[in-house]
Amino acid sequence: MPDTEPLDHRAAVGQLADDLAWLEDHCRRQEALAAHAGHLRLAAGLSRNVVGPFLDGQGPRPLHLAVVGGAGAGKSTVVNFLVGAVVAEANPQAGYTRHPTAYLPAASTIPWPSHHGFLGPLQRVSQEKPANVDEDVYQVRRVPPRPDAAGPNPLSDFVVWDCPDMTTWASTGYVARLVEVSALADVVVYVASDERYNDEVPTQSLHMLVKAGKAVVVVLTKMREADAAALVDHFRQEVLGRLPKLPDGTAPRVPVVAVPSLSSAERADPGGAGARYRAALLNQILVLCRDETAARRRTVMNAVRYLSAAGDGLLDVARRDLAELDAWKATVQRGKAEFEDRYRREFLSGEPFRRFDRTRDQLMEMIDLPGAGRVLSGAFWVLRTPYRLGRDYAAKLLTRPNTLNLSERSVLDAALAAWLDFLQTEVRTRADAHPVWKQLAHGFDAGLAAQARDRYQQVVRTYELKETDELERAGRQLTEGLDKNPALLNSLRGGKAATDLAVIGLIVGATWPPNWWLLLLLPLGVSATHQVEELGVRSAVEAARSKVRGHREGLVADTLTTPLAAWLTDWPATGGTSFERLHQVLRRVPETIRRLDAAVSAKAAPTPPPETERPTP
Amino acid sequence: MTTEGTDTATPPEGPLLRTLAPLLRGLERKLRGWLDARHRHTVPLVQRAELEGLDGDLRRQAEALDVDKPLLVVVLMGGTGVGKSTLLNALAGGAVAQSSFARPTTRDPVVYFHHSVKTDRLDPALRMCRLAQHDREPLAQKVIVDTPDLDSNDLANRDKLFALLPVADVVLYVGSQEKYHDKLGWELFKEQRRRRAFAFVLNKWDRCVQGSETGLRPDQDLLADLASEGFQNPRLFRTTAQLWVDAANASQGTPPDLPPGEQFNDLHHWLNLGLTRLEIEALKARGVGQLLAQIEGAVEKVRPPDLTAEGGKVRDAWERVLSDEAAAQAAVLVGTLDPYQTEVEHHFSVEDQQRYRGLMAAYLKLTTRLRYAGSTLRDRIPLAGGFLGGKVATPAEWNLGAFVQECSRTAGERVLDQRGTALVNRLLVEADQRGFPLALLSDPTASAARIDWRDRVTRSLIDALAEVEQVCTRPTGWRRWLRGGLGLAANTLPEVSLVATAGVLLWDFFIHGNVPGLFQVGLIFLVPLVVVVVFQLLVVTLLPVRWPAIRSEFETRLGRRLGAELVQTYLPIPGEITAALKEERRQIDTLASETREVSGWLAERQQAAHVADLYGS
Repeated sequence: MPDTEPLDHRAAVGQLADDLAWLEDHCRRQEALAAHAGHLRLAAGLSRNVVGPFLDGQGPRPLHLAVVGGAGAGKSTVVNFLVGAVVAEANPQAGYTRHPTAYLPAASTIPWPSHHGFLGPLQRVSQEKPANVDEDVYQVRRVPPRPDAAGPNPLSDFVVWDCPDMTTWASTGYVARLVEVSALADVVVYVASDERYNDEVPTQSLHMLVKAGKAVVVVLTKMREADAAALVDHFRQEVLGRLPKLPDGTAPRVPVVAVPSLSSAERADPGGAGARYRAALLNQILVLCRDETAARRRTVMNAVRYLSAAGDGLLDVARRDLAELDAWKATVQRGKAEFEDRYRREFLSGEPFRRFDRTRDQLMEMIDLPGAGRVLSGAFWVLRTPYRLGRDYAAKLLTRPNTLNLSERSVLDAALAAWLDFLQTEVRTRADAHPVWKQLAHGFDAGLAAQARDRYQQVVRTYELKETDELERAGRQLTEGLDKNPALLNSLRGGKAATDLAVIGLIVGATWPPNWWLLLLLPLGVSATHQVEELGVRSAVEAARSKVRGHREGLVADTLTTPLAAWLTDWPATGGTSFERLHQVLRRVPETIRRLDAAVSAKAAPTPPPETERPTP
Repeated sequence: MTTEGTDTATPPEGPLLRTLAPLLRGLERKLRGWLDARHRHTVPLVQRAELEGLDGDLRRQAEALDVDKPLLVVVLMGGTGVGKSTLLNALAGGAVAQSSFARPTTRDPVVYFHHSVKTDRLDPALRMCRLAQHDREPLAQKVIVDTPDLDSNDLANRDKLFALLPVADVVLYVGSQEKYHDKLGWELFKEQRRRRAFAFVLNKWDRCVQGSETGLRPDQDLLADLASEGFQNPRLFRTTAQLWVDAANASQGTPPDLPPGEQFNDLHHWLNLGLTRLEIEALKARGVGQLLAQIEGAVEKVRPPDLTAEGGKVRDAWERVLSDEAAAQAAVLVGTLDPYQTEVEHHFSVEDQQRYRGLMAAYLKLTTRLRYAGSTLRDRIPLAGGFLGGKVATPAEWNLGAFVQECSRTAGERVLDQRGTALVNRLLVEADQRGFPLALLSDPTASAARIDWRDRVTRSLIDALAEVEQVCTRPTGWRRWLRGGLGLAANTLPEVSLVATAGVLLWDFFIHGNVPGLFQVGLIFLVPLVVVVVFQLLVVTLLPVRWPAIRSEFETRLGRRLGAELVQTYLPIPGEITAALKEERRQIDTLASETREVSGWLAERQQAAHVADLYGS
């Protein structure tokens, strides 16, 4: 692995955590999505607290134990049992603990995790504070060893986290801290009292933890000793039986430990009087963490698996936003189609492209013989005079004057105004439906239409230049094509002169000797040849004209409407708005997760995979 | 009702609540009528639902109060396992409701009421529940309802609770040490607190008094929470219901080992004796008062805005837009007439020629036919249109109606169809910029735009043509005299000149005996011809009917007509809406003032005895 790799990973983890945090914030701001915020926080926590340190090469020690549960369920009491001494403030106020506290043995040699971004926004407070400080902080307390301890501390390599609850009305403000620590944990101890064990809110967090692949140990508390077995059964059936299946299709195995209502002596001395409950609990945890490397590996692999599997699901929260952005795009496109349609009908259908009349005359001139041939042409021209006069008169009688066409610019301006009006009404009508539309409505209030018009003025200038160019080129193409092809030009000229002469010869030969019939037949003959020639030229010019007409539509679409539509479509997602960020996040998150997945697999590959990646009870 | 004698206050004169019932019923009918009616101003879904709920409450109250002794419904509300059923059992002194360690226990609500109360007097929502009758006189007027939980995984339980809550006069919010301020219960309390009286029970009091140096005692914590919600002096009972049930089962009077401060007896006393008939009436009256205040507030919230000023501004803006639009449409329509200018001129000439007689008429018919040969010829040559560049399909026969329809069809296809939708959008944007809500306008404008304008355009075109014809062929002022003089002269002078020339020749022949030469005989025809030609030239120069001359006149008149049509269609819309909203405001005002009247009446007579604390502030 190159040396720069860890830094890359660090950046990627930071990026992912940032993106997820932003998305979480985005969800919290929308009432309908607030429920998803927890999952996003968990994912962010997993990436910065589990995946990041692993890629950074941090060792498996210490393992983290997070104690979570509803208010008053007895989390602090369970912490005391885990530590083996009364260290946490257990009191009857529901929702007293407001920030996480870590407990670790004072004698422990394990280094405190120093990974960059560890626990995200939570700051460590240096001095001891009461557990009800409601701030984004955590504290670390070293627990002195019991003087009468028999044997080594079984949790000497563990950090035990006492977490806040997730059920009181105040918990909305601090539940994120709980999620952050549960993301860090290698084993989660889920505490539920006899009153709470079938409650909806804690059960949902249990589901979330199991889905995230955390090893969970359930502690049921406060029931009467006699009811303990029945309660555990009921819990298994009602709550554990409904846990979501693991990605591999198996039902998660979650061990359950019962700690019935305690006497004050047991509560005051968890290591001594309460030892029997403590032993059962520690057993379950140690079974899950027989080998710390394997335990940490399991945590990391499950985290990555969760991120990969949930990646798309996590982004579902943005689906509604994207759908609305798509709706906006469709609206813009509809306006664009109307614009083009209007241009086609109001301008293009009636536009004669007079430039081609000039081309026609030029072509006619070119086909006439040059130099000395002019005399001959002049003679023919004189001969054709009666025909020409008659034809012009007939044409004047027969052709209808053209409809007065509106000028191209005025048609375009009107179509643009109609487009913007259409968008503005749509936006206004939907303004209450979704923030995207609201933002657009604010945009229109703040002069979005004027901005669009400015933009249009810019592109319309390029368009006009291009259009004139194209018309000129198409007109010139015919004459230049003939100019550059002298063989064709000469054969046309020669052919025409030859046909004229041949017709004259034929007429003279047929009516020999010369008589007054010739006066009638000769002009008639040369007029007929000229008419044939004119028809040929006209069809060539008309073909070019219709080609330009067809091409003009594409030109308008390419240079005018498409850039404008793209600008309008992107408007909500530019200028540092939340939708711009949304776009970035949606693109980046799956990509980063894939990268991290690959990195973790690569790093984990050298050691053979241990048999137990799943918690075994 | 033997206990009532102890109360010092005397019952009110008339049955206050019974008098209130018809008033409430009348108000309910009005509110119902308003809810069922259609309104221009759309009421947001949330506010509508709120009003529907309030209307239901009003109806229920009106029915419940229309009896001699209204029943007071006390509903127990709380999370699973807090001991609602145990509490009811303790109050009943026996197993009325099922209680066990399995959560959630209660799935079917239990209604505990006096046997003298007929079942059909209970609210329909209560009749569905499990009914438990008793014979305790002090509770004769009270119905106690045990409900399922509000926080377990069994969501059906929550629905059952929600179905029962509207019936409650007093909600007994039951909390335990763990759940006294859980989010779900607290939010429900906050949602309901304005509508019902609340008393609080902190059950499992024994778990709350376990000493600890940190944290608040749960009752203090709860009182602090309640104070922040406006309950400065709430009725809070600290109970340990389980002990009382155990004692009742063991046929003891008072449990032996009650924790200090246990208040079950107070609760029992309050329910039995504290809530006297007087208090019940006051409570009910206060409940109605709260309900009325809420209705008033909710009704005020749906009052439509006053848009008179905006409506006027919108009208002015629209007038401008519509006249611009009319001018533009007229230009387009006249533009489509351009190819038909020969026909139009022809039409006018033919019309004008109707007034000439004799030689002049014959001559004009001949020359007109020659001059406009093309316009008829064009129609006869099947290929001419495409071949000679005529683009507009010509009506088979010159016929004003068909011709005009053809014109408006062509114009519609090219321009007017899109202009119609663009116009509506333009109008909406203008209205929006002047602060007129679009939601009110979009439907009426859309339906106005759906009216087929082609008929109207055709009509306008025909009318305008007829008007122009009127002006051109029947001029006013000096033109009229000129035209009359010219007509008279043209109808007589050619014949006179013919007769005179012939007379002069005859005179010459018979009197002077001069035989006239060929030229002189020709003069008989030439002189009238010259006269006719002179007159024709005079008519053409002095009273011209040329398309360019009438075009602008035609356009102005057409614009005026189209403008009138558009104004007639669109301009009244804002005014209509403003008027409709005014009427709706009046309805709301009536509704609000009637509500105020009833609540004023109630406030005057209300004697609130000890109920303020149950409602908070």
